[in-house]
Amino acid sequence: MLQTLKKYRAPYLFILPFFILFFIFQLIPTIWTIYISLTDWKGIGSPKFCGLSNYQKMMVDNMFWESLGNTVVYWISGLILIICCALLIACLLNSRFLSNDSARAFFKTATFLPNICAAIAMGLIFRMLFDENVGLVNEVIAMTGGAKVPWLTSTTFSKIPVIILNVWRYTPWFTMILLSGLLNISKDYYEAATVDGANSAQQFWFITLPSLKNILFFCSVTLTVDMWKLFNESYILPGPGTSNSSLFQYMYESGFNVFNMGYASAIGVVLILILMVISVIQFAVRRRQGEL
Amino acid sequence: MKKKIALLLAAALTVGSLSACGGGNESAPAATAAKGEDNGSAAQGGDGGQSAASGTVYPAGTLTVYAMGNPQYRQQYFETWLENHRDIAPDVKIEFVQTEGTADIREKITMTALSGATEDLPDAAMLDPVTILANAGLLKDETEYLTPLLDKMVDGAAKDATIDGKIYALPDSVRPQVLFYNKEIFDQYGIDPEMMKTMDGYIEAGRQLKEKSGGEVFLSYIDPTSKTWRYWGRRGLMPSANAKIWDDSGEVIIGSDEGTKKALGALDTMNSEGLLMKTTIMEPALYDAINNQKVATFCIGAFWDEFMRQNCDAVKGQWRVMSAPEFEGVQKAGAPVSQYMGIIEKGDNPYSELFRMMWYDFTFDIDAKEEWVNSMEAQNAPYSNPVSIEMLEDPFWKEPSEFYGGMSFREMEGKCLQNGADNLIVTPQDAEADEIISAELEKYVAGNQSMEDAIANMDKNLKAKIGKAQVN
Repeated sequence: MLQTLKKYRAPYLFILPFFILFFIFQLIPTIWTIYISLTDWKGIGSPKFCGLSNYQKMMVDNMFWESLGNTVVYWISGLILIICCALLIACLLNSRFLSNDSARAFFKTATFLPNICAAIAMGLIFRMLFDENVGLVNEVIAMTGGAKVPWLTSTTFSKIPVIILNVWRYTPWFTMILLSGLLNISKDYYEAATVDGANSAQQFWFITLPSLKNILFFCSVTLTVDMWKLFNESYILPGPGTSNSSLFQYMYESGFNVFNMGYASAIGVVLILILMVISVIQFAVRRRQGEL
Repeated sequence: MKKKIALLLAAALTVGSLSACGGGNESAPAATAAKGEDNGSAAQGGDGGQSAASGTVYPAGTLTVYAMGNPQYRQQYFETWLENHRDIAPDVKIEFVQTEGTADIREKITMTALSGATEDLPDAAMLDPVTILANAGLLKDETEYLTPLLDKMVDGAAKDATIDGKIYALPDSVRPQVLFYNKEIFDQYGIDPEMMKTMDGYIEAGRQLKEKSGGEVFLSYIDPTSKTWRYWGRRGLMPSANAKIWDDSGEVIIGSDEGTKKALGALDTMNSEGLLMKTTIMEPALYDAINNQKVATFCIGAFWDEFMRQNCDAVKGQWRVMSAPEFEGVQKAGAPVSQYMGIIEKGDNPYSELFRMMWYDFTFDIDAKEEWVNSMEAQNAPYSNPVSIEMLEDPFWKEPSEFYGGMSFREMEGKCLQNGADNLIVTPQDAEADEIISAELEKYVAGNQSMEDAIANMDKNLKAKIGKAQVN
């Protein structure tokens, strides 16, 4: 090993800064989190070792389970809606109907705008839009003869504004990633398919989608991590109790509102484990498909 | 050559990343300690320790206070005080930092202390309650300083800041639970506001308002967020009904407590009979409703006065104040809410004594306080009744208020303290308990469960997550 290090001294030195930062800001805090999750600690003073009691508490904490369930909803809905919307918009931006370059540039910029807006500012605007009494959404519903919907004051509907904000914010980023993938697909495939008589839907299904497989996989992995770390959207659009809280938000509130650092760390450890399991499954599936 | 350059680059990157991880220069030395002795007793001179610290000149710098609720107005008082005391603090500035609330203050102080950056801690902070920071050793012990002053302050001024016989913060305000009502609405529908002295009468007044106005006028509001527990529950109906979350040994009893059933049962009656307007408090929709005479009363802390004055100009002169309704068998009119100024224990805090002097002046200097209150009135800004008994007896605190149709709000605030209920027991587990209880109450307000189920779930979840509270 020492010989290898000596032989590849320069490359190892180049990747050393990353590992130093990873060690200080990720590995050590992760190990520290695991330790704190086994203690009763209010953030100040010495942590008192309490074994697995934080984990036992978690098992009977319905706020934890509700937040976990909400996060699964955000994850699944995010995966489906964001990838579908992003793919649709990317295809439109790449289509021959948008032949004018300046029009294409305008739509690309306009599409990306939601991603660069501050999440909290957008959250506040969405809160006004979905206000039960004076919100624009309910005004439109009322104009069409419908009854006002208690978007953020009912446990039934409170996740919907969060999902919409989530999709609105994340779609542009993944649109750009998918668009870059679309631009890399050779035009020859489509020309050949057209000559063979394939229609647009067939071209999309048999050329576009298979060519984007790796990029779609990348999107699903990064989206999974993003959705499990969802915080801003549900924090700024609170519903009754934990009816639309994400697990990440519940972890934050347990740690910094209630100062139950041990319990918050235990939730953090569970989040790490969940993400590890999901990632392993995703990679295993891809490996079985022979793509990796 | 290329290899050497590559090696140099890699080494530079490594050194760069390491230096980025390092802390900043220790160029800001801790402020020099004042020459005066810290923690002097007020008894030494009866002037807040000023004579004890005579000859003291405080070092140049900024005295930082974390506060909430438009603290820039409070800053005006302290700035004036500093201007008048340039002999002892020639180059001291004061900065009140606006925060979201006491939870935010606790979080900021805790995280700063946790990071070890004690020089970044504020010198003082507005607190309610003090338990978490006091137990963490982050507040100075004020027992010696405050004990000689307790007789000069209203009853219970230091109660919620006292842990195991030690006082950890300086009393800032003690404000009662009061009943605000729109007299014009009551006159219009021929309902006698006196009937609202009892909780049953209060609910009956709501029924009559609903019936006589054809459902146009609501008795009060109910908030779909955590503010229902904060204002209706913890600070309102629960203490009035002598309700308990914990028993004396810290065991959870909220599920079987008769007081809780009485308190939250009253809220349930009002809500289920459609007497409460479902809207968020402190938001435009509610202010619109008040200005349009759609909401007739608020059973809430006296702090609501400043929100009404600032946002409800259309109904100026129509509102009156009376003591909060009493539950039958308890005969108490709601618990006062105390707020404190805690001096942060951060080792070498050069301004501890200076802040005590300022606090003393703010609390006991009748002329200066009245001048400041007049200025607040002119700016439509917040202020609260003093905790000093002598100051409260001054005719100034009985002057009529224009917003309340000539009734003296200040005098009523003082009177409403007289039959105050005891607050719920303060424990270090309160923040977590509030989160659990509020979540169930919010689900009740959302219509997902009955009040009986909400109380049962509160009990179950408190037992599962907290078990036993630490009762001092």
